[in-house]
Amino acid sequence: MRKLALILSSLLVLTGCSTKTEVLATDMWVKSSEISTAQGMTAVYGTLTNDSGDDIVLTGGRTDLAEIVEIHEMAMISGEMKMQEIDGGLAIPAGQSIQLEPGGNHLMLMGLTQDLLAGDQITVTFSFRGAPDLVVEGVLAKPAEGGDEEYHSTKTDMEN
Amino acid sequence: MVSRRGFLGGGAAAAASGVLGATGGAYAAGAVGAENLETFAAKRELAFHGDHQMGIEADLQSVTNFISLDIKPGSNRASMLRFMSLLTDDIFRLSRGEPVLADPAPELAIGAARFSAYVGFGPSFFEKLGLESKMPTGFGKLPKFKVDQLQDKHSSGDVLIHIAADDPVVLAHGTRGLVRDAMPFASVRWVQSGFAHTPGMVPPGITHRNLMGQVDGTANPKLGTADFDKVVWIEDGPSWIQGGTLLAFRRIAMQLDTWDQLGTSSKEEVIGRKLSNGAPLTGDIESDIPDLGARHPNGLSVIPEFAHIRRAAPENLDERIFRRPFSYEAGISSAGSVDVGLLWTAYQRNMENQFIPIQRRLDELDLLNEWTVPIGSAEFAIAGGVRPGEVIAEALFSYGVRT
Repeated sequence: MRKLALILSSLLVLTGCSTKTEVLATDMWVKSSEISTAQGMTAVYGTLTNDSGDDIVLTGGRTDLAEIVEIHEMAMISGEMKMQEIDGGLAIPAGQSIQLEPGGNHLMLMGLTQDLLAGDQITVTFSFRGAPDLVVEGVLAKPAEGGDEEYHSTKTDMEN
Repeated sequence: MVSRRGFLGGGAAAAASGVLGATGGAYAAGAVGAENLETFAAKRELAFHGDHQMGIEADLQSVTNFISLDIKPGSNRASMLRFMSLLTDDIFRLSRGEPVLADPAPELAIGAARFSAYVGFGPSFFEKLGLESKMPTGFGKLPKFKVDQLQDKHSSGDVLIHIAADDPVVLAHGTRGLVRDAMPFASVRWVQSGFAHTPGMVPPGITHRNLMGQVDGTANPKLGTADFDKVVWIEDGPSWIQGGTLLAFRRIAMQLDTWDQLGTSSKEEVIGRKLSNGAPLTGDIESDIPDLGARHPNGLSVIPEFAHIRRAAPENLDERIFRRPFSYEAGISSAGSVDVGLLWTAYQRNMENQFIPIQRRLDELDLLNEWTVPIGSAEFAIAGGVRPGEVIAEALFSYGVRT
């Protein structure tokens, strides 16, 4: 059974009024990546909303498809926009949302263990300080370009 | 002296003051009017989930794109399921007036405007994927008709995405999103763009006029009736097609240069209906049943033997189709000839029992053939409806495939 994240999130909206949902993930997607599996990297995007009364911090995540998951930001480094890991995670104040988007903050997947093909659906777990883990199923792989992103790592330099 | 501008202005003021009593002020009346207009055009949504795909059992939208795609070599059921997963997510979001995921221009998602899109598969699709055993009954390449002058650039295709909306910008934005997500799996074979009336030009359910001036679609089954279900929606066969339908698509060019040389009575005899209101020549209003046996005092049939509605009339109740034709306008020659016609569609359960016998009769004798020439043709099996959590045509691809 294939489940799309959008369906799950809309069902949560419809049925979630009585349950106390602390963090909501909506419009989640991952950029498809058909590059070689050994050096593959990609990123997860979407909106995380902190519905609790406490400030929380997005500290990282997990997925079966990637060996390393980090929270990255785009920053000006030596006159060039580059991505780098955010030290200490990404704060989500009580009642607020953060956007993970191309050209901005994102959940970076590195060391892909298999190709992530357009239309694949993966499961991503987000970890927080101040809130339990959030498992998001059916995160759709989109054949997207945009955000002026180039993926670099210190060891490899490859076209996305 | 009353200037024309002053007269029109006075008329508008009078109309506004008519609303004044109900809303309490001229300014309020103007504001409410604008808001209602926005509600009417932008806020109207068609439902994506249901027993059938969207955009068929629905009043015509004002603009449309038919997009035919050929799948890439090496395609298989697993890749097609991924293709459909992307389209399913995209169409659901666009039907609600929302941007698609990874939308590079989300600011263009300004309203649903009755956006619809559905997906179908051509005979070549089943051959390429080895899915012939999953083809619906009464589906395949149409036979060649004498009247046909088909061009490859307007014909055939593996996958159809038929998109429509009440706003051209919404249509363009939705089309971009769907085509972008198709590109890992297919290339575009052809796009055919068309239009119908702007909402508000004719009341819902009223038959539209084509560019020859005729009311077109009179004998259609009515939307939302058991009769419609019986003509259009498939009930048996492979599970993926249950709740689906078969589409015969025809690009029909109109020879308006010669048509416009005819007088009104000649035009009416070609069709068998009055141009003014679409009534049969034997009746007074559009819904009157044509009396094919009626004769003039001189013995000639009132509805001539060559008339379109006589030749198109079903020989039995099962031999009917649902037509949902859009007009197209593809340019004007230096000599002033307009390249116009119909993106004509017939939806049905079984093409062999429904469209083909009707078209055979029209092919043998129909004076309208003098002015209407099919220049494109395609057949698509439209998958059944989508429930929340499902992917379009999932059952066609998912058996035995890792998910």
